[in-house]
Parts: sequence; structure tokens; C-alpha cells
Amino acid sequence: MTPRAITGFGVVASLGIGRSAWTAALRDGTIPAPAPPTAAFDARAYPEARVAEVPDFEPSRFLGEKGLRSLDRQTKLLVVAARLCLHDAGLKKDGRFVALSPERVGFCAGNAYGSLEAISELDRVAVLEDARYINPAKFPNTVANSASGYVSIWEDLRALNVAISDGSCGALDSLACADIYLSCGRADAILVGGGEALSEPLYVAWKRAGRLAGGTPLGEGAALFVLETEESAKARGARVAARLLGLGTSFHGPAHDGVLLHAAPEAMERAVDDAVTDAGLLAGDIDLVVSGASRSGAYAAAELGGIARALGESVPIAAPKSLFGETLGASGALGMAAALTWMEGIAPRAIVRGEAPTNVKTVVVTTLGLYGNATAAVLRRG
Amino acid sequence: MLPCTVGSIKRPVSPPWDSASPAKASVSRVFITGVGAVSPVGLGRGEFFRALAEGKSGIATIESFDGAALGREFAGEVKGFRPRDHLTAAEARHTGRCSAMTVAAARMAVADSGIRPEHLRGPRTAVVIGTTMGEADVIADLDHAWIKGGASAVPRSLLPRYGSTLLSIHVARAFGAQGMALTLPGACAAGNYAIGFAADLIRAGKADVVVTGAAEMLQELQFSGFVRLAAMAPEKCQPFDLHRQGLLVGEGAGIVVLESEAHAMRRGARLDAEVGGYGLSCDGYHITRPHAEAVGSIAAMRGAIERSGITPDAVDFVNAHGTGTKANDAAEAKVMFDVFGARRVPISSVKSTLGHCMGAASALEAVACVMTLETGIYPPTVGYETPDPECDLDVVSTTGRTGKADVLLNNSLAFGGYNAVVCFARPGVLPPPVLGHPGTPS
Repeated sequence: MTPRAITGFGVVASLGIGRSAWTAALRDGTIPAPAPPTAAFDARAYPEARVAEVPDFEPSRFLGEKGLRSLDRQTKLLVVAARLCLHDAGLKKDGRFVALSPERVGFCAGNAYGSLEAISELDRVAVLEDARYINPAKFPNTVANSASGYVSIWEDLRALNVAISDGSCGALDSLACADIYLSCGRADAILVGGGEALSEPLYVAWKRAGRLAGGTPLGEGAALFVLETEESAKARGARVAARLLGLGTSFHGPAHDGVLLHAAPEAMERAVDDAVTDAGLLAGDIDLVVSGASRSGAYAAAELGGIARALGESVPIAAPKSLFGETLGASGALGMAAALTWMEGIAPRAIVRGEAPTNVKTVVVTTLGLYGNATAAVLRRG
Repeated sequence: MLPCTVGSIKRPVSPPWDSASPAKASVSRVFITGVGAVSPVGLGRGEFFRALAEGKSGIATIESFDGAALGREFAGEVKGFRPRDHLTAAEARHTGRCSAMTVAAARMAVADSGIRPEHLRGPRTAVVIGTTMGEADVIADLDHAWIKGGASAVPRSLLPRYGSTLLSIHVARAFGAQGMALTLPGACAAGNYAIGFAADLIRAGKADVVVTGAAEMLQELQFSGFVRLAAMAPEKCQPFDLHRQGLLVGEGAGIVVLESEAHAMRRGARLDAEVGGYGLSCDGYHITRPHAEAVGSIAAMRGAIERSGITPDAVDFVNAHGTGTKANDAAEAKVMFDVFGARRVPISSVKSTLGHCMGAASALEAVACVMTLETGIYPPTVGYETPDPECDLDVVSTTGRTGKADVLLNNSLAFGGYNAVVCFARPGVLPPPVLGHPGTPS
């Protein structure tokens, strides 16, 4: 693929809000312990709940007081991340575009269960009261692209707006989509990444599915990056934090159609293989893999196994979900944020295989979905 | 002479681009080689379009829930759809209604294309499906169980079946596709978003075949939402009519099989249509209202024309977004005036008979466009009786019309300012895409 410049990032996570707080947490190891939620949902009915919540998240600090009432938490996380990202990339200053025009900047990001909070809230009104009383201002939040739509409205991004629903792979898939949109000249820069918010229905679903037992707390967050053509970045003199060099995305269904959930090492292997080939690199060129693996279970085994098949057993692998939680649609984006930070000279953490490299120049970021899907991206320090 | 056929004409043709020698700097053309539809007016290519052409309405009293209690009782519901007619027992067990309609329409499209199963298996086949809410019945069942019985009442077996990503996953599984499997929630422009991106995947060389389109199911919560937004008409959806009172919602799935030129030629495929360029934009303005000056919509429509290598003069017919709301239709009329000037290009909205199938709308309308290219029939806007000075357009009224159908535009100008306009053309009509041309991957 044609290399793309990554010229800025914005992050809102349990490790902190904004690039400095995020970097400081990874540098100093100030990783907050999972704790009962204080803002994402009322945890009185779930005394056992320990989650990786974004601490002290006050969207009005970033967005002002007006217009927030009808936005759900997912949207607020993404809008704040987008604002931080656009300023970090130098596209905006004091809320205004100072480089490129809104018509040349797009938005393309993933989420796994973005509309769940809104649907459940309105369902509650419909079931317990009457569907005639649902709040029409919140109805638009029930579609899976609503958070993306709001980001474009708040940040005036007009080139295109694309939401991606591919579970945990959505954030890295957004890179693949944006790369094609940039290739076709639909934008000069596209905000890519993903977000996912904690909510009561999400917690209940995860608990009932038995997915809280693996040791990785359910988390939330959003991370967005400006993916830009090299020409655009050069023309405006942007600082290039890293380059996207290769992408691979694949699906591998189960052998029998009797099962739905499917951890597919074959998909992971092919995604990594394709991404590294796409980058014109060899396995030996990779300094570190930043995986989406949790601490244990079939999916972790499939992801690590697929990576090993593609790159061999010796490549160091990090699993940073132990730092910021299981953040689903945001996980690939937060993995990317960790990779960028480690490229800046901060020592990698959460190493689950091999030894932490001292010089991180080239990274593969991976995510594995619940149904046989996998995505990988190759990044190189700018 | 190439061993392909165009539309329903079962004879080999020599497409004009064959001698144009664009080999050095060309990108692949993208063809639709099969279509499938699950719709309120019928299932499958023939039944679907015959009904549209005849102006047969799929609008009827809702059977799946009590709409009257919500103040409105009509919608474009797919009646008599039995998943097991199209899905295996295991597939039917794993799917909600939305995915079931998606897989069914995909099977119809694949059968219609005549593509052999072995051509779909493997990493060169991708799946891109649009929607707004995906498996809405599954989430409703989960939510209702939780709300009525608490967390312990949430049925574990249903949990893996929720998530709009499953629409593309189920289709990929059905055909053994191993390329990108992606669900694109793009509001009521989702179908065009999906088909456009799928075409880009082929042009960029990332896939040879993409099964693409969109699906949506009618569900009580979403229906209530439109009622509460005061967007719902009481009985009839009359796009562009002076007395229009709003939209009616519908449901269904529209799927098309896209193939690269080389792949289609290699297997001697019938070419139903060429996917030309498409325009995308975002208003960045309001979550439900169209932009007052329709700048984003204009950019999307102009983008589709420019990226197809044509001028507005080449467009024969426009399939309207045409929801039947005052604001949307007036905004779309503005777009038409801006793009076509004094030239009155025929326009029609099949939402008058299907209802607004939301995420599935533009995908079903893409199938309708393919059929218009094949037959020259412009399907009618049923119920269009009194022209609205604010929408002074050449609306194809209730009787329908036949006309030149070489190049069509399919408009999607959705809530949230999601604008996507796709150009479809008879194979051989559009100039060959070349590298460096707007809209082709560099």
C-alpha cells in the first residue's frame, strides 16, 4: 500500500484523557486498578463490578455546556477524542480549522455496541411506560452510526463519515477503509480509530456471557488518529508520529455451521501475513506486536497462535488490554495509541511473550473478532 | 468478442471499451452480475421489479406489532418471509430477522449471478453490508428479558446473536468468503455506502468479488421513534407531492454481486450493470434535519457524476431518496436544480410503495436501478398527484414510464447528513476508469 502519515492522536481512556496523561501513565506505570463504576452506570445492583472506566470524564470541559444533554456516553467519548486529535494534529487551533478545509477531512471509526445504551434506555421506557413516551431527541442515538454522525456535526468534518461495525476489529478496519478513501481522493485526512462506552446493558451482557471471568476488566475509551496522505502532511509541514505501512483483514469461518462464536487463528495468521507483505517487510523486521489478546481463554490462544504462525515464536508480543481493559470497538485504537507511545521511547509494558524491545521502530497491531474475523496493521515510527 | 452477456440479452457482446486499449493505466471496471431482494413487494429479482414497475404497493397494516397503539399502523412489512426457505437449520438458529433477510437476499443474488460456489470461497471474496440497527429483534428480546426479569433473566444463548457486525459475518459464512467481512452502518444511506465501498475494494485490487448491499428490519422501537419524530405519514407516502405528510417505514434486504471485469469475463458472466463513480459527503450540520442549502447533497451528486467520467447531460434517470417528508424532498429538489439546471431529469421514489426501508433502502433501490437499466422502465412514484412548487421536478407519477436508461443515479441523502450517491450504467456506456481519474485508487 501507499504509506500514510499519522499526524496526530487523541485518546480518552481509563489511563487518562489526552496524550500527555496517557503517555505519563504508560511511562510511570500508574495503571489504575479496576474499580466500581462511578459515572458510566449505577452499579448498586452489581456490587461485584470492577471496570476500567474513564476517570473524571467531564465532556463539558472540552465541549462546553450546550448540546450535551441528548448525547450518549459513547458519543461524548468520541467527540472529545476527535477534538483532542484534531488539535494534536495541528488541523485545528482553538476549535477552528487552521489547516485543510472541513470538506477535505473525513471521519471513519469503529464501534462494537455503540447504540446499545440508547436502545436499552428507550426500550425501558417502552416496556415500563409506553412507547409513545420515548424521547425523540434520543431516538437518533439508536442507530449504530449515530456517534460518528455527531462527531462530524461537532467537529465539522464534511468529506465523508463512515461508521464501522466489526466488533473488536472495527478500529483497525477503519484504517483499511480510510486508506481506500484516501487512495480515491475522497479526503486529504481522515480521523480513524474507534470508541466504546461502558453502560449497564453492556456490563450485563458481558457478565451473562461469562466474559468477566478472564481477568481483563470490561473497559471503555476512544482513540482517534489523523491518517493523512504523505503529500498533505508534507504540504502543511505536519509532524508525522508514525506511518501506516501495511494492512491485512480476513475472515475464517468455522468448519461446521453449528457454532457461531469462533476464535480463528487462521484468520489472524492471514491478516498478519497480508499486512506485513503489504508493507513490503519480512517477519524479522517487526520489533513488537501489540495484540488485542486478553489474559487467557480461547481467543487469546488463537490470536497469539495466529501471530506466531505468521511471524514465528520469537517476536515480542504485548497485550495491553491488561492496562486499559477490554474496550471492544476501541481496543484496536487503544492498541495503536500504546504502539505510538512505545515508539516514542517509552518502555513497552504488558509483554506476554518474549522480551520488551528497547527500540520500537516497527510494530504490528492486531485484533481478533468473536466470529472468525481478524485485522492487522503495520506501523513504523515517523 | 468476449464471452459475456449484457443484461437479459443472452448473446455475446463486444463492449466498446474492449478496443479502447486502456491497459497501461487502467483500473478494473466493476460490474453487477447478480441481484437479490427481500422486500415488501416480493422476493427475488423478477417479483420485486414487476411489482415496482406496476406500482403495486407493499404498504399494509403492520402484523408483527400493534402499530395502531402507537398512532400509526401502516408500513412496508415483508410478509410471509420464512427463513428456512433460504437458510440452513443452523443458519436460521443463529440469525435474527435482519441477518436472515440478508443471507436470503445474498443467496438469491449469488444464484442470479450464476457464479459457482468455488468462485466465492477464499480470500478474494469480500462481504460489505450496510444497516442502521442490524439485529433489532435480538436486542429487543434481550432488553425485554432484562427489563422484566433482571440480569439473570437475560438468555445467554441470544447474546452472541446480537451485533450488527453479524450481517456480514453470516453472509461470509454462507459462501466461505475469507476476505474483508464488514458491516457499515451508514444511516439510511447505508446501502450506497456499502456498494460504493465494495466497488472501491475491487478497483483497489483488494477483492475480485464482493457480495454487498444492505438490510433492515421493521421493529417496534424504531417505528415508535419515527412516530415521535413526527416524521411518519398516517397512511400514504407521497414523495414530492404537495400534500405529502411524511414517510412510512419499511424493511427488507437488497444484495448485489459485484465482480471485477477480469473475473466476470473469465467466467463468462452476464453483466447486469456497471457500478460507476459515487459521491460521498457529510453535512456536519444536524442529526435529523437536512442542510438548508443542501451543500453536502449537491457535492455527493456532483461527485458521483464526476467520478463516473461523465457530465450531468448523460444522466437519464434519478432514483430519488424521496422519503416523503416536507424537508427532505424539498432539499432533494434543490439538489436536482443545482446539478441539472433547467434540464428536467426524470426522478422517482419507490419509497412510495416499499416504504422507507432505512439502511436497506438504497440497496433495494440499487436493485431497482439495475432492473431499470435492463428494461427501460422507470418505476412510478405511487400517490404523486399534485405537484409541489417547492419540488418542481419531472416526477414519474403513478402510471410509470419507459425511457432511455443508460446512466442512472441512486440518491441517498440520509439523517445525520450522510449523503451517498451512486451511478449505475449499462455496461459499455461509461468511459473506462483510468488511474489518476477522480474516484480511482491511486
